[in-house]
Amino acid sequence: MFAQILIGGIATGCIYAIVGLGFTLVYRAMRMVNFAQGQIFMAGTFLGLAIANRFALPAAPLIIVVGALAFVIGLIVEKLVFRRLYHNHEVFVVGSIGLGIVLTNAVRILFPEPVPFPKVFGTGIFTFGGAFVQVAYVWVVALTLVLVASLHALFTYTKTGRALRAVAADREMASAMGVDVRRSIAQTFGLSFAVAAIAGVLIGPLYFVSADMGDMVGMKAFSAAVFGGINSIPGTILGGVIIGLLETLTGGYVSSAYKDLVPFVVLLLMLIARPNGLLGRETPVKV
Amino acid sequence: MKPLLASVAALCLLAGSGPAFADIKIGVIAGMSGPGTSYGIGIQQGAEMAIKEINDAGGIGGQKLQLVVVDDASNPAQSVTAMQSLVSQGVDLVVGGWGSSQVLANMEVSERAGVPYVVVGATNPHITSDKNKWTFRVIQTDSLMAEQIAQSATGVLKMKRIAVINDSNDYGVGNRDIFIAALKTAGMQPVEVESYQSSDKDFTSQLARIRAAEPDGLAIFGTIPAAPAIMNQARDFGITARFIGTGGLANEALISLAPQASEGAVLTTYFSEDVDAEGKAWADRYVKAFSEGSQTPRPVLAAWEYRTIKFIVAPCLAKNGVDKTKMRECIASFKGKIFGLPGEASFDKTGQLEQQPVLVEVHKGSFRGFKAN
Amino acid sequence: MRNSATLLAIGLLLVVPLAAPPYLLHIATFIAIYTLPVIGLGFLTGFTNRISLAQGAIFGLGAYTTALLTTKCGWSPAATFIPSILVAVVVATILAGPAMRLAGLYFVMATIAIHQIVWILLMNWIDLTNGPQGVRSIPPLGIGSLNLDSPLAFYYAAFAAALVSFALARRILASRLGLQLRALSEDELASAMSGVPVVRAKVTALALSAAWAGAGGFLYAHYIRFVHPDMFTLEPSILFLTMAMFGGYRSLIGMVIATAVLESATEYLRPFGEFRMIAYGLILMLGMMFFPKGILTISPAALSRWLAGARPAARKA
Repeated sequence: MFAQILIGGIATGCIYAIVGLGFTLVYRAMRMVNFAQGQIFMAGTFLGLAIANRFALPAAPLIIVVGALAFVIGLIVEKLVFRRLYHNHEVFVVGSIGLGIVLTNAVRILFPEPVPFPKVFGTGIFTFGGAFVQVAYVWVVALTLVLVASLHALFTYTKTGRALRAVAADREMASAMGVDVRRSIAQTFGLSFAVAAIAGVLIGPLYFVSADMGDMVGMKAFSAAVFGGINSIPGTILGGVIIGLLETLTGGYVSSAYKDLVPFVVLLLMLIARPNGLLGRETPVKV
Repeated sequence: MKPLLASVAALCLLAGSGPAFADIKIGVIAGMSGPGTSYGIGIQQGAEMAIKEINDAGGIGGQKLQLVVVDDASNPAQSVTAMQSLVSQGVDLVVGGWGSSQVLANMEVSERAGVPYVVVGATNPHITSDKNKWTFRVIQTDSLMAEQIAQSATGVLKMKRIAVINDSNDYGVGNRDIFIAALKTAGMQPVEVESYQSSDKDFTSQLARIRAAEPDGLAIFGTIPAAPAIMNQARDFGITARFIGTGGLANEALISLAPQASEGAVLTTYFSEDVDAEGKAWADRYVKAFSEGSQTPRPVLAAWEYRTIKFIVAPCLAKNGVDKTKMRECIASFKGKIFGLPGEASFDKTGQLEQQPVLVEVHKGSFRGFKAN
Repeated sequence: MRNSATLLAIGLLLVVPLAAPPYLLHIATFIAIYTLPVIGLGFLTGFTNRISLAQGAIFGLGAYTTALLTTKCGWSPAATFIPSILVAVVVATILAGPAMRLAGLYFVMATIAIHQIVWILLMNWIDLTNGPQGVRSIPPLGIGSLNLDSPLAFYYAAFAAALVSFALARRILASRLGLQLRALSEDELASAMSGVPVVRAKVTALALSAAWAGAGGFLYAHYIRFVHPDMFTLEPSILFLTMAMFGGYRSLIGMVIATAVLESATEYLRPFGEFRMIAYGLILMLGMMFFPKGILTISPAALSRWLAGARPAARKA
């Protein structure tokens, strides 16, 4: 029983973690929260579905193709929409919420009912420590690790990545050092779209895909990101896993009616006690 | 400042006034946007079909029927405004409504305005009560369905150990409470009761406890897509219990989302083509008429809207005209045979259409009428 | 000149409804009710530079307080007015008060958490709130033997409430507290140095914003006479915030106009059918993209200054 809850919690947590990464990437570069992130994740899942239905790709190439396409879409949307919202964070909040509403309802017209996603990770199940484990869960956990490792490599070892990091740390300084800030920001959005779409391909086969699938997951992923530290990638991953575990444990041992409360209570307490989150470094307190 | 404010108010004035003449106006309210879109469109299509047939046959007493459709965006607050707009446009009665929280909100408006309102798409038992004067409902309530499935479970299905999992929204909780009460009268206690949130994706912890209780029947009270996900995960976990449920599950999407796991599930439903030949013929006609639209035709609520207008409303209009008080009395005294329903149906004193329940079973990837061998 | 224009407008808003169809009256009533939480947001956003996405939930607390007190405890509607405001203020202060020290964006995050917490409790604390069944048959508002049962009577009540709350808000802005709040919005550090009790001023702004939301919720519950948790999702929070933003935060008149325009906009969009919500999302998105300082910037600056009565709604980028 406990093992079962633990496995469910870690898998759920990894999902929050990957979706949360989208929030983190944008926040690091812009000091803004993109509230359409949950809906971008949803749209990314449908992008994955469209590709998976057309071409019978195995899991790994599917993820790469979807990620690359989403990256390009991210560049375009940044140029068309986000670039005009950098005015201040309030404008960005409401503008991105508007984008989220557009995405949800546009997808809903095309897909009024939830649809199944091809089982690209197979339907296998094995027992581990007395608990049933879906093979797809193993994929989720493994790919979360791969994703974090590749992001780490990107930011550490590539020129583009170092430029992105410089912009995240101090935009003016980066600009003075000759970094094309505008391009770096666009790439950051591209990256956040790619990560969201990859998260979609991971989650799609576990469940179904529907127009409102991004709403609650987006909110919880956001909580996870802030809890772990919204300017820290490792923090977001840690935050996701902890929130996933806490939530599933509450559902298992306390009450499933109140388990949705957990991420938000944890988020509020964390913001009041330590706004940086577990691993974040910044001073978000004024005066 | 306030000239601007005044001009805004004037602008509002202009926007709201529609054409004020017509023969007989039938209002339709439902979510044509938002989460209920596909149901709302079904309701609208059912109304269009019935009204076209009546008008093509010469209308009622020489008068044509006119349809007035409003969208409530599947949202309770907007539903109040939408109903108000129907009342303002002078509809003679309203047939429609999707979603219990929307109907509970908008019926307050029609009750106050004294407009007869026949609800076709909301199942919360609280909608029909002694307090209503103008509100009726033709679709089965949650309570009747939950009671009926409980009787079938302990009766023809011979279940001995029943576990329950329910959505913690009004629909799931309402069904669960009535189901458990009905089991109790049959002298049975559920072996396990679990709940989940509509947005949940992972049901492992609930299912682990259900598996430990070794049920032979698992009642699922919820809606799509959580219900088929639970079925899939339950089978993956080695739970072999037969699934039972109520109308929230009786939807083609259940089968497309849980093609193997849903096999053998027994459900109460709102409309089945299998009850009689007339129902089957109607459903074929309906699907043919609307297969070109943006949405796949969904007969369930369209059938209720169509039958309500055709069999309950139209005869009353023919008899009494548009007088609202007479209309209310006439609807309340309806008694008769409607296709797709076994036996006769009539309204009880709360305005609920009393009817025999319809049971279906998932058999080889489609719904068919359930027959207790 | 301005006074006579004001009187004329008030006169029109009093007389025109007598001839207006109920549907328009209904929208006008909604506008009047929504004015309250939106003005409330003005206190918070205009004077502490913090935006809240919890206003819809606080509004819901006011609505639920009166709904439960009247239906479950048999209180008369008028008697629940003060409790509705109190519950909204107390809950908002307890939950959001400690978060007031957070910088802007982090405060938004906290209000999202608060919103979700309130909504989940309304939905799941079934013994107290009826949960997803909602609360039905809320009695109509009445004062003594006067019953505000008819839409017209309620419109006048809501209009009066909006007018009083508007006038009260103006008084507060002109008071010492208002000056402190204004100083605060200019520069927190400087006002702290010059002796303005910053923390107390910020929490006061929060409490005021909650009080206005609670009063709005009270009216809402007695108008619709049914409350359900789904009426208080993030959607109204976004709507109120957008109304305040389009109005330019600090101009009360601006916010009232924006409330009227946006609330009736959701009605104009009705013919869009399934595309209606897309159009609504586009309004938010394009509005922010092209009018980040509020819709009043559409008109020439001078006109907007005249409309605003005070200073233009300029904000630091």
